[in-house]
Amino acid sequence: MADLGLRQKLFGPSRHWLLVPVLSVLAALAICFVAIWLTGKDPVQGYAKMFGGGLGSLRALGDTSLKTSILTLTGLSVALAFSVGLFNIGAEGQLVVGALVAAWLGHAFAPGTALIHIPIILIAAALAGAGWASIAAWLKVRRGVHEVISTIMLNWIAIHLVESWLVVGPLAARSTQSQVSLPGTAQIEATAELPRLMGEINLGLPLALGMAVALFVLLKWTTAGFELRAIGASSEAARASGIDVARRTYLAMALAGACAGLAGAILILGVHRQYPAIFHGGYGFDGIAISLIGGNHPLGALLAAAFFGIIRAGGTKLQLLQIHRTFPELIQGLALLLVAAQMITRHLLTKVAGRAPQGKEAIDA
Amino acid sequence: MPALSFSHVSKFFGPMAALADVSLEIERGEIFALVGENGAGKTTLMNVAYGLYRPDSGTVRVFDRDEVIGSPGKAIELGVGMVHQHFMLVPPLTVAENVVLGSEPRRFGMLDRQAACDKVREVAARFGFELDPTAKVEQIGVGMQQRVEIVKALYRGAELLILDEPTANLTPQEADDLYRVVRGLSAAGKTVIFISHKLREVLSVAHRVGVMRRGRLVATVRAAETNAAALSELMVGRAVAGMTRSPSARKAGAALLSLDKVSALNDRGFPALRELSLEVREGEILAIAGVDGNGQAELAELVTGLRQATAGAIRAAGDEMTGQSPRAFREAGIAHVPADRQQRGLCLPMRVDENLALGRHRKPPFARGALIDGSGRLERAGSLIKEFDIRPPEPSLLARALSGGNQQKVILAREIDSAPKVLVVVQPTRGLDIGAISLVHDRLRRERDAGRGILLISLDLDEVLALADRILVLYGGRSMGEVSGEGADEKALGRMMLGQSSSEPARSEVANG
Repeated sequence: MADLGLRQKLFGPSRHWLLVPVLSVLAALAICFVAIWLTGKDPVQGYAKMFGGGLGSLRALGDTSLKTSILTLTGLSVALAFSVGLFNIGAEGQLVVGALVAAWLGHAFAPGTALIHIPIILIAAALAGAGWASIAAWLKVRRGVHEVISTIMLNWIAIHLVESWLVVGPLAARSTQSQVSLPGTAQIEATAELPRLMGEINLGLPLALGMAVALFVLLKWTTAGFELRAIGASSEAARASGIDVARRTYLAMALAGACAGLAGAILILGVHRQYPAIFHGGYGFDGIAISLIGGNHPLGALLAAAFFGIIRAGGTKLQLLQIHRTFPELIQGLALLLVAAQMITRHLLTKVAGRAPQGKEAIDA
Repeated sequence: MPALSFSHVSKFFGPMAALADVSLEIERGEIFALVGENGAGKTTLMNVAYGLYRPDSGTVRVFDRDEVIGSPGKAIELGVGMVHQHFMLVPPLTVAENVVLGSEPRRFGMLDRQAACDKVREVAARFGFELDPTAKVEQIGVGMQQRVEIVKALYRGAELLILDEPTANLTPQEADDLYRVVRGLSAAGKTVIFISHKLREVLSVAHRVGVMRRGRLVATVRAAETNAAALSELMVGRAVAGMTRSPSARKAGAALLSLDKVSALNDRGFPALRELSLEVREGEILAIAGVDGNGQAELAELVTGLRQATAGAIRAAGDEMTGQSPRAFREAGIAHVPADRQQRGLCLPMRVDENLALGRHRKPPFARGALIDGSGRLERAGSLIKEFDIRPPEPSLLARALSGGNQQKVILAREIDSAPKVLVVVQPTRGLDIGAISLVHDRLRRERDAGRGILLISLDLDEVLALADRILVLYGGRSMGEVSGEGADEKALGRMMLGQSSSEPARSEVANG
């Protein structure tokens, strides 16, 4: 019976929410370690380069902080929707809408000081993301449309509306240069550019950090957050207890959209300084992975985003050893797979331990 | 040769003994009932026999075969069948398809439907009961679905059948039909073991009764040589009051909740309630009796704001409540103990103290302004856990981890603690053990005596008769009339439940099988 204690700690009802994510990430790192070794390269050196590339210098920290802040915000977007039991696949679309609003306000209006300009842009981008996500909430509440379907469709609507029309059409920069190149939107004003701490660290990082903590507090310590969690736990019981499920669904989706919209604004104000003609998207979809790996917990999403921010920023350094730079994404994918498969792995491990899962009567006192 | 024998079987979950040194022999052709409180180890013992658990010590033998029952597959091979409380059927498939699923008769590589149907008819006929093999499982009642499970086990060659709380979800009529089936199986030489909380049915059906308490088999008695009081004393370890009436201590007062010619639709858009009028008064229990599916579920939702009326008016202490939200109903002092504890009553993935706060989580001591008051909540949860004897007494446990009886105590504690004017209580003791049932009943009487109005909606006629000051019988969404709870005639009620007016003579033996 010696193994029972450990087994219960790992798989019993009291296991900590961080345990599965941490184990999954470690296992993913181990698998990739072996994979690199099998290709005949040096995994120890590779990992050293990767983490060094993410943390080793101020410049590296700058890149890491940017990636971390974006991943945190899109991760929060998905995690927050999860709190009411909704699967927000739409962070990408909400991010695109937020980014567009940020790019537009960045040059369309010039109050003269960053102290006014940046907050206004951030708030507007958050509102835009919130508004976009609220469409899915409205469809859900009023028409019963499944949010997975509606958010996927809204992603494509946003992407095509923005990138196939607005950015190349009405909002395209009036370029004096060649007709063939696609210019994107006009450059933002200097007052809209996100300042960098110590010259490198993107202001998005403290913003994302603050958001994660704020949402954690909301969910854990406010009555509104309690209602969100109750809906996620059982919307039927929440409704019977008098909670206004529709109103809370709007709140959750709006906050989710606001996070993604903020991520879009940070990408524009901190990196591109315009809505570029070719926008490297995908952060919204990364948010799904980040949220799941982080246990759909705001602080979990922050930790997962920090970790993947580091190895993604450092991933390019792998090329110095002729290791393909997509290994960080492989690690992320494997970690996600392991988290998603936790029911299976748990089952397998319990079988190995030779004991059936906890029965109904086992917990009776 | 015994059909099933346990010899010194023990099973531990962590440090706790779920089974402690159980030895028992069950004879061939016997109907054996296993009784005990929730968590006494009945289901664990049966799961050991069915190969779902392995005992930590001791041996289990089926039909004297010297083989280890390592898995349900092995148990089936040895002739053991088990029908769980929650059926494992595929609703859109037919009865015959469900029965043969997993070991289908084939013809040219395809399912031979005709052979499957014939097989089902043959099994049913052999044991003397009816079952339409071509009906879709989703379209037949719970009692019939249970038969499908039984036939499924028999089709797989079961000689020993284990039924886990087979009557928990059945109406009295369906339960009677089940007993007939069980007697038929026994007469044909099959062995039947069933787990039950209902001592009356145990005594009338079983040959022998095993009583479990805290993992031990404390007694095995012949059903003919015992009675309900003796059994419940063995189960609990002390004398318990049965379901006895104790009439209201005071006269019923003003109407707290009234329905005036209310009609409502069910989920599929068909009329579920038709011009129903009723009144719940201060200090009385109004019980709604009826066979399941006659509008009870819709009535419960209607008086808690979860369903809107299509006509008529609902008033709470004179205030117009028609069209109001569930929150407004709660604020008007109407509390709800729903039938579906796990879906509607609790948030299973949340903590016990959070569940105790649910619905009043915006008010002190559960909140301070917009913030949750964690320590206030813990304190109140602690006192409720003590008062309602919720076990284990740990507010940070997830509601999911509690047994059914303790989950119900959490809901009851929360709803009563909200100091409502009216308590709407639906099926409050379904699936609970005797100890918990008497606790719930005592508490409901106390709340009534404290002046609350109680609307009790129950399918259990014994419960209705034990608690009600007045009984309204619901049939087809209409009131069949009201009778006083005092001296109510069970037979007359039974007729009303089947849609005959109380004055009509009995057509035949309706309730007795």
